[in-house]
Amino acid sequence: MDCKTNNSAVWRFTRRFIVLSLLYGFFSGLSAYGLLLWHPTGIVIWLLAILPAIPIAMAVLLTGRYMSEEKDDFQRAVLVQALLGGIGAILVVTTAWGILENYAHFQRLNILMIWPLYLVFVGISYGIVKARYR
Amino acid sequence: MKNRLRVLRAERDWSQADLAQRLEVSRQSVNAIETGKFDPSLPLAFKLARLFETTIEAIFSDEN
Repeated sequence: MDCKTNNSAVWRFTRRFIVLSLLYGFFSGLSAYGLLLWHPTGIVIWLLAILPAIPIAMAVLLTGRYMSEEKDDFQRAVLVQALLGGIGAILVVTTAWGILENYAHFQRLNILMIWPLYLVFVGISYGIVKARYR
Repeated sequence: MKNRLRVLRAERDWSQADLAQRLEVSRQSVNAIETGKFDPSLPLAFKLARLFETTIEAIFSDEN
C-alpha cells in the first residue's frame, strides 16, 4: 500500500493484513506441531487443518471491507489490479508446476506455500501497477 | 481523457499535494488523473468542478 498518503483506510488495512499474515504463520506451525506430536483423531484433525485457513478467509473479507471503505478510486483501482495480477500469477505458476510435478518428476510444491507465494506475487504486481502510473 | 487540471492548479499556485489534500485523495491519484492515465469517478469530477468553480466539461474533454 502507499504509505505516503494520509489514508486511514489503507493504514487500517495494512496493519490488519500484517497481523493476519503473522497469524497464518503461527497457526500453520501450531497445526503442524499438533498433528505431528499429539496424534489427534476425529474432529480435532479437521479443526487443526482448518486453523491456518481462518486468517486467509479473514484476509479476503478484510480486502472486501477495505474496498468498500476506500474513498480514493485510484488507490482502489491500483489494489484491484495488483490482486488480479497476483491471482493470475499464482494460477499460472501452480498450473505449470502441477504439469511438471505430474509428468516431469519435479519436486512436489507444498500447498501451504501457495498463500505466501500469492502475497509475494501481489506485492510484485502492486509495484508494477504503481510504476505504470508514475 | 484530456484535462486542464495542471493549468487550473498552476493558476492557483497549488501543488499536486495541495490539490490532493483539498480533494481528500492521494497525491498519486491527482498525478494519475492529471497525466490522463486514470479517469476520475463522477463524484470526484464534480468535486473537482466545485473546487475550481467551473463545470466538468471545462476541466475534462473526451477528445483524443
